[in-house]
Amino acid sequence: MLAFITRNVLQRILLLVIVSIMAHSVIHLAPGEPSQVDPANPRMKPEDIARIRAAFHLDDPLYLQYVYWVKDLYSGELKSFKDNQPVLPKIWGRFLNSLPLFICATLLVWTFAFPTGIHSAIRRGSVYDRSSTFVAYALISLPGFFLSYIMVLWVVEVFGVPVIGMKTFGIEGAQPVFRLMDRIWHLVIPSLMSAILGVAVLSRYVRSQMLEVIGQDYVRTARAKGLEEDTVIYRHALRNGLLPFVTMFGLLLPGLIGGSVIFEQIFAWPGLGRLGYEAILARDFPVILTINFIAAVLTLAGTLLSDILYAVVDPRIRLQ
Amino acid sequence: MNNQTIDTAQEMHEEPLLPHETPWEEFVRIFQKDRIAVAGCVILACLFVAAMAGKVLTEWVIVFDTEIVRLPDKFSPPLSFPSDEVVALDIQPTFGVYVFGTDELGRDVFARMLQGAFVSLSIGFIAVGISVFIGILLGGLSGFYGKMKLGFMTVDTLIMRFTDVMLCFPTFFLILTVVALLPPSIYNIMIVIGLTSWMGTARFVRAEFLSLREQDFVIAAQALGIPERRIIFRHMVPNAIAPVLVSATIGVAGAILTESALSFLGFGVQPPYATWGNILSDGKGFIFDAPWLFFIPGFAIFVVVLAFNLVGEGLREALNPKLRSR
Amino acid sequence: MTIKRLLLIIPIVLTIVLLQSYFWVPTYENQASGNPNRLVTYIEGSIGDAKILNPILNADGASSAIVSHVFEGLLDLDEDLSLRGRLATDWEITEKAYLLVNLKSRFPDGVVVSGAELLRRIQQGLTQTSFSELGSHLTSLRLLPAHRHETVVSVSIQDNNEKPTIETVEVAINVPERVEFTLDHVDQDLFTRLTPIIGKHYVDHFSHEPYISIPSEVSLEIQSQLKAQYPELLPVTEHNPQIVFDLRKGVTFHDGHEFDAGDVKFTYEAIMDPKNLSPRTSDFEPIKVVEIVDSHTVKVTYKRLYSPAINAWMMHILPEHLLNQQAMNLEMMERELSTEAKKNFGMRDSEFNRHPIGAGRFQFVEWQGDEFIHLQRFDEYWEGPAQYREYYMRIIPDLLTQEMEFLAGAVDYYGAQPHQVARYKDNPAYQSFSSLGFGFTYIGYNNRKPLFADAKIRQALGMAINIDDFLKYLLYGEGERITGPYPQNTEWYDHSITPLPYDPDAALALFEEMGWQRNADGWLEKEGKIFEFNLITNSGNPIRKNVMTIAQNAWKNIGVKCNTQYFEWAIFLKDFVNTGEFDAVVLGWSMNIDPDLYQIWHSSQAGPQQLNFVGYHNPRADDLIVRIRQEYNRARQRELAHQLHALIAEDQPYTFLYSPLSTRVLDKKIVLVDSDEEGNETYGKIYPTKTGDELFYFHRWRKLEFTPNF
Repeated sequence: MLAFITRNVLQRILLLVIVSIMAHSVIHLAPGEPSQVDPANPRMKPEDIARIRAAFHLDDPLYLQYVYWVKDLYSGELKSFKDNQPVLPKIWGRFLNSLPLFICATLLVWTFAFPTGIHSAIRRGSVYDRSSTFVAYALISLPGFFLSYIMVLWVVEVFGVPVIGMKTFGIEGAQPVFRLMDRIWHLVIPSLMSAILGVAVLSRYVRSQMLEVIGQDYVRTARAKGLEEDTVIYRHALRNGLLPFVTMFGLLLPGLIGGSVIFEQIFAWPGLGRLGYEAILARDFPVILTINFIAAVLTLAGTLLSDILYAVVDPRIRLQ
Repeated sequence: MNNQTIDTAQEMHEEPLLPHETPWEEFVRIFQKDRIAVAGCVILACLFVAAMAGKVLTEWVIVFDTEIVRLPDKFSPPLSFPSDEVVALDIQPTFGVYVFGTDELGRDVFARMLQGAFVSLSIGFIAVGISVFIGILLGGLSGFYGKMKLGFMTVDTLIMRFTDVMLCFPTFFLILTVVALLPPSIYNIMIVIGLTSWMGTARFVRAEFLSLREQDFVIAAQALGIPERRIIFRHMVPNAIAPVLVSATIGVAGAILTESALSFLGFGVQPPYATWGNILSDGKGFIFDAPWLFFIPGFAIFVVVLAFNLVGEGLREALNPKLRSR
Repeated sequence: MTIKRLLLIIPIVLTIVLLQSYFWVPTYENQASGNPNRLVTYIEGSIGDAKILNPILNADGASSAIVSHVFEGLLDLDEDLSLRGRLATDWEITEKAYLLVNLKSRFPDGVVVSGAELLRRIQQGLTQTSFSELGSHLTSLRLLPAHRHETVVSVSIQDNNEKPTIETVEVAINVPERVEFTLDHVDQDLFTRLTPIIGKHYVDHFSHEPYISIPSEVSLEIQSQLKAQYPELLPVTEHNPQIVFDLRKGVTFHDGHEFDAGDVKFTYEAIMDPKNLSPRTSDFEPIKVVEIVDSHTVKVTYKRLYSPAINAWMMHILPEHLLNQQAMNLEMMERELSTEAKKNFGMRDSEFNRHPIGAGRFQFVEWQGDEFIHLQRFDEYWEGPAQYREYYMRIIPDLLTQEMEFLAGAVDYYGAQPHQVARYKDNPAYQSFSSLGFGFTYIGYNNRKPLFADAKIRQALGMAINIDDFLKYLLYGEGERITGPYPQNTEWYDHSITPLPYDPDAALALFEEMGWQRNADGWLEKEGKIFEFNLITNSGNPIRKNVMTIAQNAWKNIGVKCNTQYFEWAIFLKDFVNTGEFDAVVLGWSMNIDPDLYQIWHSSQAGPQQLNFVGYHNPRADDLIVRIRQEYNRARQRELAHQLHALIAEDQPYTFLYSPLSTRVLDKKIVLVDSDEEGNETYGKIYPTKTGDELFYFHRWRKLEFTPNF
């Protein structure tokens, strides 16, 4: 077990280095440079731009720039091109902002996907199954931002309450409970929007897992024993059907970064995805690279976690 | 899969004993039962016709002109008629009616949607084509020649580690970064989407090849001295293609959605190409003034993506022997 | 079955918990009830976040908006766009001018020049009536003795890798005797007036070599570069305008520290410090020296005549005590930086940029990246506190959701697009303003390309576009036609110049006159080539995109084939604009209050990476441009600017399209508050100034509980 983990960790560290080198080259080789200054500013001189380029090592060879990046990241002194702020605290702050949205969306996904998926599987071919299949595909097929806009418009027009951002501004003087509920309210719609895709996909997955398990011999045996149908499904079948989902906890981690750009953009949520997007717009290389790096770390940690979890919950699998 | 593989093998040896039903007939029979998937197929067929017509009628033989600006008729709702001013200038829409209304510049949205259908579809297909090609190539190499040594590691390790590397990037973020940094071009978008979505295909092609390698008919073919190339392309690829087909169908849907998301963020296909994604993202600013600019492309994307997904699901059901109940 | 029940109950409970929160959130109508603070809170929506809250370093719109509330400059512009004192109470512009005694030259009557003789002749001349204008504002005249001074000159040369590098050389200058003129106002023609005394060729006949010694070991390349700089190092005639500012007494920064002359000098030095990479250096480059006369008087001496230079003092003043070397060292210690980070530590890295302290109306409270910036009014502000207590800038990156927040009452202002403004025009609950700004949009033709070399072609292209229709339909009237390079709300703009008419037939006639004929396909053709070019712009600007489409369509109608392309900003600038490799561009300028057009229109500024990228070249315009920037008399400046405007309008190097109106939609409950001595308040409607700046009276704004009737 320990050997397995050590070997995997080492392999993954090697992968991480390769990933970061690739990301670094892709970003630096692409045309377009950090727009540190407003080029439309008629008073800006070429000399000024040259000085700024030199200050950011932009004229150094690529490998040197990579070394600078790694060194600064390691010492925690990596600075954003855009505002000279240290990158790591910045990312940490945004991570904390993204976290509630992520947790809320994940809760919605997992709590809704299981009941719907299981029901579909039990009543395979019924009207419920067919319509839930259709609805699931419909939700997968909707462009997220299209649905979000419709939702925002509807809520504001019908209910007349603000939905954008992390809180309503101008109610700082209100009682704490109001402010708490206000924050929860602002979580509801963005997390619902980002959960929809997850619910649809996961419920399909739950359904097919359950179908597979229900066809197994031990389920048939349980039924033959004359157990109640509910007991058969929820005790015998579900437990085994759940196994693969345990590993999915690990794979959730990277979702923190990638999937949220559009929703954070629409709902003005100051999270990691927005940070990344703004950094891309400003060509703020240190921030882009570090977010990418963190995403890779999360992915690798996630897969490692899922491998280990799988071995822990499924006695048939032995790690070598 | 077993039935099918044996069938194919038998066919290869031209045995006289044909089964009651060829795999194709069986597939059609099952697929036809799935009415939703059939409906999806019909929608897709219409879409192909529309896309081809769009290409021909907006670019080669200009019946629907996408570029005529009619400022006095800006924001005309769907199914409205051109105003006198426009009629006087002789820049009326085809059929004398704005089927889908007009946009901010008074251009005919119907014509633009037609043109966009082709562009959107070709983005989907080319992106998926690239990803399927890379996926089959790398997956096949890794599955078939996996044991070959390249220096200190095997081909399989090399390719699979590379796949892992690619999986480490948050896909949408990576696409966004690359598209934002590269000059905006429709080809870049296709290529980037293709290059970032082949990993799944590669993985299951590899798995399929690994299991096929051990199958009797492949071993038999090898024993008969049939050239490797022929074994791979005649015997193994057709057997591994079913899941690829399913994921490709769903992949096209994904690519169209990705393009629309990129358009939303301002990095989609740039004018003069109209895609549904950029019609939608241009239209979103006018949702109060001209809601059709938002809802028509949005709904069109939804229907088409849904059709692709449902057909993909239908294919999966029809091709998956495990789920064939009877 | 517990599991079954749990599976059902958990999602239901979760849904209820989430949805019930709706009942706690205030709707638009009752935001203020139970929360009176909302009425004195102003929330502004912004698309982008601020980058750096330091007036000498910021370069983006959001940062400037915040900075202008937190900091205060020496001067600003009043309602009529004239300078108004803020931290300075008064200022006076005088001039010191110097004339070298050119011993090699002779007076017109053949007498050899000497210092004493030159002084005598000038003094004598001044008594004559022909010099009365000069004499009346000359306050003193004296002869300065010769002296020697050493200076360090930097030259830019190419190193072995053909990369430009900067080398510094020590140069010794033996300055000969000079005549010093002190004038009570600036006179750019001073030396021309002296021509009858000193002769026409006095300046040309001066040879610099005997006076300047350079180290012998420097390379030939550097020598030749240095020689090119001689006239600058030792000018024969020199104008040194001077401004003396009297500073306001008793003004404090938000931390209670008193503002004084040291802060002004420090701000200047911080801008000029190369380490700070300030984007404002070029505004302050003409300054020779800033001297502290006493704690509340500053004297600024300029190197040369440059009349717009005073506008730079609208620059917000930094607090010296928080940013000087001592403060920086302290911050480095507290942040426990590594030695290398310490070496590179500069003002850009300081925490000050995220927690600014100034002397403006509002003081900084908090900044949450990509979420909001919070300011609070500064009660000790020298002109009295503002009506609003709190100021938030919310960052909402999407225009549509900004509007939704505005409708829900969670934002008081957002940068509405013309079509959005049009919707609120008739709504009784809102007020909207449209006023002229400093920007304009144009189509710039690459004047170097033979296709566009003739002004007639450029005129014809301009005449083919129906700009009025564009303004009417696409900007909903939120734009004004413009005929030349100046902003319409400044006095430099000549309103008597009429815009190009929309006349496709006349345009076609002009083309035919130039030998272009329509071919079978309908395109204009000459010598077998059709009139075809690429029109490019940056992506991401919907209005420019529309301009492109309209222009393309209009030109197609007269047989001009135009291909449109969009490029991302950085690429657009790097590959096309900076290199001059383009046919035509759609772009906009955001102009300044001053009439100086040197960088955009002077022919010397047409090189790579310079701003006259269209390559406009007209010697008459060059001359006018230089005269305008050296003229300190406003009336004369205006006259010259009008001439320049007419000249450029005739040449049409750009098709000047329009100047967008800046638009603002506000809740009608927001009003101007006036209170008399007894505290009685009267309310008035908000109105913009001539510059289009509604925020000019922002300190008097407040939201009422009811919608007023006016």
